[in-house]
Amino acid sequence: MSKILIVDDSRTSRKILRGLLEESGHEVVAEAENGQEGVDKYKEFNPDITTLDITMPVMDGLEALSKIKEFDRNAKVIMVTAAGQQNKMVEAIKNGASEFVTKPFEKENILKIIEKM
Amino acid sequence: MISRLFGAYLVKEGKLTEAQLETVFETMRKVRVKLGLIAVSEKLMTTQQSDEVNRLQAIVDKRFGDIAVEKGYLTEEQVSRLLGLQGNQYLSFVQSIVDNDFMQMDDIESALAAYQNENGFTLTDIESLKSGDSDRIIPLFLPNNITEYQTEHILVCIRTLIRLIDSEVYVGKGFVTDFYEAPYFALQSLDGDNKASMAFSGAGNNILKIADAFAGENFDKVDEDSLDSVAEFINCVNGLFATKVNSSFMIDMLPPEYSTSKTMFSGKILVLPVYVQGLKVDLISSFGDIINK
Repeated sequence: MSKILIVDDSRTSRKILRGLLEESGHEVVAEAENGQEGVDKYKEFNPDITTLDITMPVMDGLEALSKIKEFDRNAKVIMVTAAGQQNKMVEAIKNGASEFVTKPFEKENILKIIEKM
Repeated sequence: MISRLFGAYLVKEGKLTEAQLETVFETMRKVRVKLGLIAVSEKLMTTQQSDEVNRLQAIVDKRFGDIAVEKGYLTEEQVSRLLGLQGNQYLSFVQSIVDNDFMQMDDIESALAAYQNENGFTLTDIESLKSGDSDRIIPLFLPNNITEYQTEHILVCIRTLIRLIDSEVYVGKGFVTDFYEAPYFALQSLDGDNKASMAFSGAGNNILKIADAFAGENFDKVDEDSLDSVAEFINCVNGLFATKVNSSFMIDMLPPEYSTSKTMFSGKILVLPVYVQGLKVDLISSFGDIINK
């Protein structure tokens, strides 16, 4: 069971993801609705895994990834986005993201990735 | 889609009652089987393979048969045979009307000719409508002067609605306007080599049909939660569109937006009435520039 932080500006996505994760026995320790809040919550809750949406207002997922990695270079971060953002995914992986998932969420895929981490 | 479009016309002209049309659809639903189910019953695919293809359809803008071929589960010949077994929607529609004794074949043909005239469709257009292929049908309802990419953007949206929200989605005649007063909206704009916006709005609570199906919930009103769900749906559509056009130009997706307040959109705006579970919502699209609010 992992302690997970969900960072996504969409409450629908947060809710769907929380449901999938909790159903499978993981604990969602906090949610954040933009990158800045995500960085703050990461520092506060020190989660095992963070899911980070890329397209967000205030601070996007790529910048939040850099800040989280600056704070904790061992942070395990899964980038989340709709299809069609391959260039940003590549940039995120270069900047230390561990994995990425595509919306809409596919339960088996997400759980497999979390298991792997 | 043709059964919904032509069915609505037959009701409008008093050829069928609403109740008769619903009986026709009910009969069609009983006999129309999904391609995956036919493939499994024909022992060409396992249930697991069929489920996998269904799941993949949520994240890639492709038909069941195309994905099954790519995965090596079916050959193109097998897909053609399965489509043949599945049957043509227009023929099922006509068959169901006649079998229920609601109209005679000759009357249906006359009504179709009148429908063709009323809408200014050519014989080729009618063949496209009868094909049941949304990629051939939707362009008939779009204004002539829109670009290939805007057409594709809209087609991706309709295909995704059919796959994720309502397999019986149909559309009305689209039009271009300089202003659109949205009572509420969910929207996402695209930046990059080609700017664009896509939004949903409309009257009443009709948009909840999209929100409910996408989030798997039952929203009771148009509020920030339900519009967020619609905005996420648009986000998925735009992602699929970006994947499709990636080799031609760069797209950067901006954060989705929504508002429960009345908002005036301006620009070169295309409005396409879309009927989700029979209820009208407006699909709003701009290409070349983002919608001004």
